Order: sequence, then structure tokens, then C-alpha cells
Amino acid sequence: MTRSRVIVIIGIVIGSMANHSHTLRASDPLHVQIDALVSTHSEFKAPAAITDDASFLRRVTLDLAGTIPTANDVREFLADSAPDKRIKLVDHLLGSPQYARRMQYVFDTLLMERRPNKHVTAEQWQAYLRESFLQNKSWRQLSQELLSADGTDEQTRAAARFLLDRELNVDQVTRDIGRIFLGRDLECAQCHDHPAIDDYLQRHYYGLAAFIKRSYLVQDPKTKKTSIGEKAEGDVQFTSVFTSETDQTAPRMLDAPPIVDPPPGEPLYKVKPAKNVRSVPVYSRRLQLAKSLTDDANQAFRENIANRMWALMMGRGLVDPVDMWHAQNPPSHPKLLNLLADSLLEHDYDLRYLLRELALTDTYQRSSRQDTPDHAPSSSRPTDFSVALLKPLSPEQLALSMMRATGVAEQQLAVAISKQEKTDDPQLAVDPIWQEEALNKALASDTKAFVKIFGVEGVQNAAFDASADQALFLRNGALVQRWVTQKNGLSDRLNALDHHAVAEELYVSVFSRLPDADETSFVNEVLDATTDRKADLQQLVWAALVSTEFRFNH
Amino acid sequence: MRRNQDCNGIDHVIARRDFLWGSAAGAIGLGALTSPLNAAHLQQQQKRVLQIYLQGGVSQLESWDPKPGTQFGGPFQAIPTSVPGIHISELLPHTASRMHLLSLVRSINSKIGDHRQGMLFMEKGRRAGDYPYFGSVVSKYLAPTDAELPGYIHISKRGIVDSTAAFLGARHAQLKLLGDQAPANLASPKSIDEPADDARQRLRVQFDRRFSKQRSRALTDVYNSSFEQAEKLMKRKAMFEGDVGEQDLDRYGRHDFGRHCILARDLLENGATCVKVTHHGYDTHAENFNFHLEQLGEFDKTFSMLLDDIHDRGMLDSTLVIVYSEMGRTPKINTKYGRDHWGTAWSVAMGGCGIQPAAVIGKTNDEGTEVVEREVDGGHLFHTYLSALGLDSTMDHDISGKSIPIGDPAAAPIEELLA
Repeated sequence: MTRSRVIVIIGIVIGSMANHSHTLRASDPLHVQIDALVSTHSEFKAPAAITDDASFLRRVTLDLAGTIPTANDVREFLADSAPDKRIKLVDHLLGSPQYARRMQYVFDTLLMERRPNKHVTAEQWQAYLRESFLQNKSWRQLSQELLSADGTDEQTRAAARFLLDRELNVDQVTRDIGRIFLGRDLECAQCHDHPAIDDYLQRHYYGLAAFIKRSYLVQDPKTKKTSIGEKAEGDVQFTSVFTSETDQTAPRMLDAPPIVDPPPGEPLYKVKPAKNVRSVPVYSRRLQLAKSLTDDANQAFRENIANRMWALMMGRGLVDPVDMWHAQNPPSHPKLLNLLADSLLEHDYDLRYLLRELALTDTYQRSSRQDTPDHAPSSSRPTDFSVALLKPLSPEQLALSMMRATGVAEQQLAVAISKQEKTDDPQLAVDPIWQEEALNKALASDTKAFVKIFGVEGVQNAAFDASADQALFLRNGALVQRWVTQKNGLSDRLNALDHHAVAEELYVSVFSRLPDADETSFVNEVLDATTDRKADLQQLVWAALVSTEFRFNH
Repeated sequence: MRRNQDCNGIDHVIARRDFLWGSAAGAIGLGALTSPLNAAHLQQQQKRVLQIYLQGGVSQLESWDPKPGTQFGGPFQAIPTSVPGIHISELLPHTASRMHLLSLVRSINSKIGDHRQGMLFMEKGRRAGDYPYFGSVVSKYLAPTDAELPGYIHISKRGIVDSTAAFLGARHAQLKLLGDQAPANLASPKSIDEPADDARQRLRVQFDRRFSKQRSRALTDVYNSSFEQAEKLMKRKAMFEGDVGEQDLDRYGRHDFGRHCILARDLLENGATCVKVTHHGYDTHAENFNFHLEQLGEFDKTFSMLLDDIHDRGMLDSTLVIVYSEMGRTPKINTKYGRDHWGTAWSVAMGGCGIQPAAVIGKTNDEGTEVVEREVDGGHLFHTYLSALGLDSTMDHDISGKSIPIGDPAAAPIEELLA
């Protein structure tokens, strides 16, 4: 799509809002346009207030940097009187190495869904993702790399994990391209046109399958490394188990016209198929997939990622579940979704740009408190986004936040820095990227323990759930207990404080906010009644860490 | 366009048998129905499930569908059972004398000869996809909301971590017990005595009360319920750690499978909704006959004791018992006296709640190489199990915007097996 077309679309959006109090211009920043479209939703009645500074700091630090802020961050942000401090904070977070780490976790989960490693190690893959986000690689480029890397070049091998670790299983890859890149779970269309969803047809499924049907895994007999080869021939046929009718299709993106192979020239192959040889065709349908999927003409590609980024920040997709886009489950805010998707196109799929604009909206910054009955969610309609939704912390967010709250992270970083200072390269210890890496490495095994208990392999559920195993782990497990009782950690720090200072330090460290008067007296009552101050403080810290307030981004 | 030819069929909409959705018969279209069943009503009936999973693929020829004296029949004889006309392998004498409580399906053609894929098909009733396991479905619809134990408990000595609940959510995921060991983290940390533990729970609740006051309870309630479930398990810690009676051990056997089945019985008696016990070791590529002699010897006596206890306690009418594998074994005997993977013609046994007793469904040919009558697969069995429990498997799960058929629309229950 050309730039002029984008402007036309924005023009239509503005035209549709003519009777609204806002006067919008195409030159308005995206976040202003978003708020205007949210506020024209028919259900949008009494929006919640903009959330206070402390809640905003916690929310956006979790979303963009993957952890709660430190107690110092909280105090500094509260003391800052600059009118544009929220904008500065967002820009600071987006420019930090923590942002790349957070996106590494988000996209690892999105793309690999906590599958165990097969051909590419998690370390290589995660480093590739993190580097991609440090460079602010566009989603278009990232997607193209994932689908076109064949695993033979060490430089790009990590990107091939998407296909390699699915064993290039045609059905698995077809389904995951539909869900992850196009927002459409076509699985039921594998065996027949979807029984309940008019839009999902068997030819859509096999249209995607046709792009990869010719690709296959091949193992190098010497290095034992697996890579991707491709044949120059082979088409897909499918039979409906309902009707027993048989059909075939060339590769196609959903309802877009089939992509006909170019007339076969001579030779067909750059590298001919032979025993233990990775064949490479002159015309590659798999490379065609990377091209067609990310082409400007493929609106589903940009709508999907726009919707997923919205869901990441707002707690619910405009299409929800995010992989069930069809006529019976349309977007709650179609114009808004178009606006987001087209802005992405205009900005060359720059996700950092989109996340920045989302973070700056009033919609994102609204309180999660339901102050009036209008705010209560209704199951009969999609959310109107007039109140912020609760978002459960991911396993990584939960582990890192607990380690930060209890002072474990700070201690680990200090140890790493002091070790580095004794080496030949002491200067490195002040480098923020080095620090982030050193800390992440130090906390990695404890983070993994959380992922094991709280992470679900396979499709990410739209709904939050919690199991007895998880609660037992938090309640009785050795790990959380170790953090709570950590020497010189939070409970020890609280124990060293005067009575009246405990509540504030606890709340700032764990909940990233100041306590109110009731909360201060609640903590004081606990301390007044104590017979074992140290033990009671540990219990207080534990209860705060496993509280609902901590469990959610709110 | 040709769609919904089968899925809009009348039997997708009209409730089966005595099911409670008669009034929904007028509603056309799968998405129109908001709830697959009257869950509260079913929960009151306290129906339960016992799954015995013979992992590795038990040989149908050495168990439920013997072919003595034929080319591939192997060395074992068939013996008469308590049901005139039904013969099973002589390796199962105790089970044979309880055949009147069970039924057999001898005509499974699942077409899968892979352990994991076969297992997933038998658990999910689908050949592929992120569908919940049978036990998670049972937990979702049959476990009382105030159940004293998690809805789906799996006792197994080993095995991979399975994601069983799919879109039904973690509350219905299997709680895996490693053998008869207690669940992980069941005991409070040593440094925290009971009063201190109570005190910190009170603090947790106090923190929650403040936060949840003006916020949507949809998510916070789920989180809190996980702590309540944890509490239930901790209160029943003794059950997991209790001494097993000598008499029970004498009857069930002093081996892992015996202990696991005693625990399964205790769990079912104490309010568990679905309990799965895995008996490992049926992947007999070599020495098939010796292995089955040993394995089924262990299974036969122990399973029979468990069946007796469930029956004697009056629970069999409300407990669906399923004995299954992920596939069967090849009729052809290989050079190591083994049988290989075989999804083409094999059997399962079931009984109790809602199952017509003493029935045999389907038939294989004389050499056991093919199904010749009433071919079924994992999809049909999945529908059948749910139907036996009174659940309309042709209805949809209604999960946040998705309307998902409970059983595969391309399959249906084996009606003649339903009581």
C-alpha cells in the first residue's frame, strides 16, 4: 500500500468522527487518534480516571522492561515534577536493553510457545531475538528471516528455529503460520471446511500448506546438523472427510489469488536432489511465502501484529482470541484496528513506534479501578476499554519482579559488577547492556524454575488460569522462601528500620507505590502485635509477594 | 459452497438419549448454544472416572481379542469368562471372572503407530490439535465447584510433562502424582509452624481484599482458587503419605501398580472426579509373550481388586472405568518374538457408569489383521465415554469467543454400547 492510500484511510477515519467533539487531523499523533476512536465506541460511557504516577510507572515498566521498577525508580518518578515525565519514561524504557529482553521473552513465547529445543538451542534463538529488538528490526524483516532462513548459514541459523524445531511438519507449520502471522486458527479446516466458522475453508489451509509442502529437513552426515532443503515440484491435494470431495490448490494467502509457479526453466535446480544432498530449486515456494506473507497486499499480516501488540498492552485484543479472526468474531473497533495496521505499514512495521504510541494513549493509562457501576465488565459485549484490564504477569515477569522486590536481583548485580571490576576489562561493568546481560544470566536458572511451573507449552490460553501446583510452589516451595529470607534482602532491610518506616519501604519495594493511611496502620498493627519481629516481617513480605496485587499488572 | 454438511446434522443439535438439552433442539447452528450441558445437575450426581492406561500399547491378542491356534495367535489360550460366549486371553483370569461388569470394543482402527500421537488421539478424541484431554473435560464438567480434590489426577511413575487442559484452563489440567508420592511442595517450609502459616495466609487474604475491592473479580478469583486448591491438598496430606494397610497390599500386590491403584481407589472415594493410573511397560518389540505374561499378571489381579472395591462400595454405577492404550500390537510376530506398533485393529475395555455391561462391539478377522465389523477410532471412543457420563459430546465448549465442538464432529458415540 502506498503512503497516499494510507492518508486516504486516515481521512475516512476522520470523516466518520465529524460529529464527535474532537477535531482530528491526520497530523495528530497516533495516540491521539487512538483515544478518539476508542471514545466513539458505542459502549464507551464513563471512562476511569487516568491512573496515578506510581501505577503508571509499574504498569509500563512491566510491559516494556519486563519487571517491576526498583524502589529508587518509584521514589524518583514520584518526586519528578516535569509535566512530560511519562513520555520521558516511555522513551527511556524503549531505549533500554531491558526492552530488548522483554521483547525477547514476548516473541519467544509467541513464536515457539515454550516448545522444547530440538535443532537450535534456546540460547542461540533468544540471542537472535534480543539482538533483533536491540536493533529495532522491523516485524516484516523479522518475519521474512524466520521463514526464509534454511539453517545452513551460521549467521542466520537461529532464525530457522521457527521451522526447524517444528521439524518442518507441514500441518504444524501451516497451522502456526495461520495463527501466529495471520490471526487465523485454520486447524479445523485441515480435514474439512470449518464446521462452525464460515470463513475458514479447507483451501485456505492447503493454500498455506502449499508454500512449504516442497520443503523438507535434511541432516548433514558429517556435522549432523539439520537444515532445510526444497524440491522444485509437488502440489497439494486435499479431500474433505465430510464430503469426500477432492480438490487442489496452488499456494495462496487466504482469499488472495493463487500464486502460480513461474514457467519451469532449465535447469529446475540450483542444487539437484541426491543422496545426502540438500536440494535447492531455482524457484522456491518457501521464499515466496516470506515474500507473499509480508507483502503490502496482505492486510491480515499487519492486522494480526497490530492486534497482538494491542492485546499485549491493553490485556485484550480488538479481535479476541487473537487467533480467531473471522466474520462471526469481528474486531470490536474495526476502524481503530485499521488505523493501527496502516500506521504500522506507514512506519515500516516498527513495533517500537507502535508500542510507544500505545503507551502514550489515555486508553493505556486509565486506572484499573472500577469506580462506577458503568465500569463493571459485561460478558455480553467486548470490552470498551474504559477501564484498564488486569494482566497476569508472565512467568518471567513474575520471577524477575519477585527477585527485584526482595533485593535478590540487586545483590546479584552487585556481585557480577564487583567480579567484572577485578578483570582486565573493568570498564565493561558500567555498560548498561553488559549489566543487563550479567543480571539476566545470574537470574536465569531461578527464572526457568518459574517458567516450568507457570509456563504452558502449546497455545497460549486467552483466559488466565492458575493451578494448585502453582500455589503450592509459591506457598511452600524453597525458591520463594529463599528470596523472602535472603540475607540483607528486603525483610532484613525492613527489620533494620524504625517501626514507622516499615510500611512505606514494604509498599514501595513490593507494590511500587506508597501505602495509604489504612495500609500503614495495618502494617503497624502487625508490628505492634509481634513477638518475633524478623519472622513476622518475612511473613508480611511473603504475603505481599503472592498477593493478587503483585500477581497482576494492573 | 459445501459446508456444515455433517456438522449441521440434526444430531449435533438435538440432545442425545436422556440428555437435558431438549429445549435447545430448536436452536440451529453450533454457536447458538452457550453451554454444552447442565453442569450443575451433572455435578450433583457425583459421577467419576477411573482410567487405567497400559502405556506402550498392550497386545490385543494377549488380552481382549485372543486368536489361539491361528497364524499370529501366539502361545496363549483363550478362556471363557463370566459372560457366556466372551473369551479373553488366559493371561487375564481374574478379569475374566468379572467380565459381566465390563465390555469390550474390538474394532479400533486408529491408523496411528506412534506412541505419542496415538496417546494424544486416545486422550483428545482428535488426531491433532490443542484439545483438552478427556480427564480435563471431565474435570471441567463433572467436578463439583466445591470439590475437595483437583478434578483430574494422574498417577504415574514417570513420563513427560503434558499440557492436558488446552483452552479449559489450568484448573482442569492434570495434577500429576509421581507414583504414590505426595505432590511437590505439599508441606509448609520447615521454618514455618502451623500458627505462623495460618497467620501468613490471613495476611495474604487481607492484601487481596483491599486490591480486589474495586476490580474485576474474574481473574483474581481464579488466582485465589488456586490457593484454595493447594490448601485442600495440604489438608489431605495424610492421604498421600498414609500407611497402606497390609490387607490391601496383600490383595492388590506389593508393587508400584498395586500401590497406585490403592491410592486411586482412595482418591475416588474421597471426592476425586477423574483419576488416571498409568501402568508402564507394554512396548514389547522383543519377547512380547514373556513381557505380557509378567505385565498382565500384575495388571490382572490388581485391576480386579480395584474393580471389586469400586463395585462393593456401590460406586460402579457412577464410575466409568476405562482400560486403554495408545495403540495395539502387530499380529505378525517379529524375529525377536516381539510384536511391533499397530493402530489398525485393536481393543479397549470399559465398564461401569452408563456403559452397557457384557457387550462386545466390533470384530477383527480370523487372523486379527483387520477390522471386519463396526470400525471405530479414538474419536468414537471419546464421544462414547462422555455420553456414558451423561455429557452431550456433540455440543460445543464455549470458551471466550471460540465455539469448539467437544467431540470431533466427524465421529459419534458408539450408541449400542451405552446403557
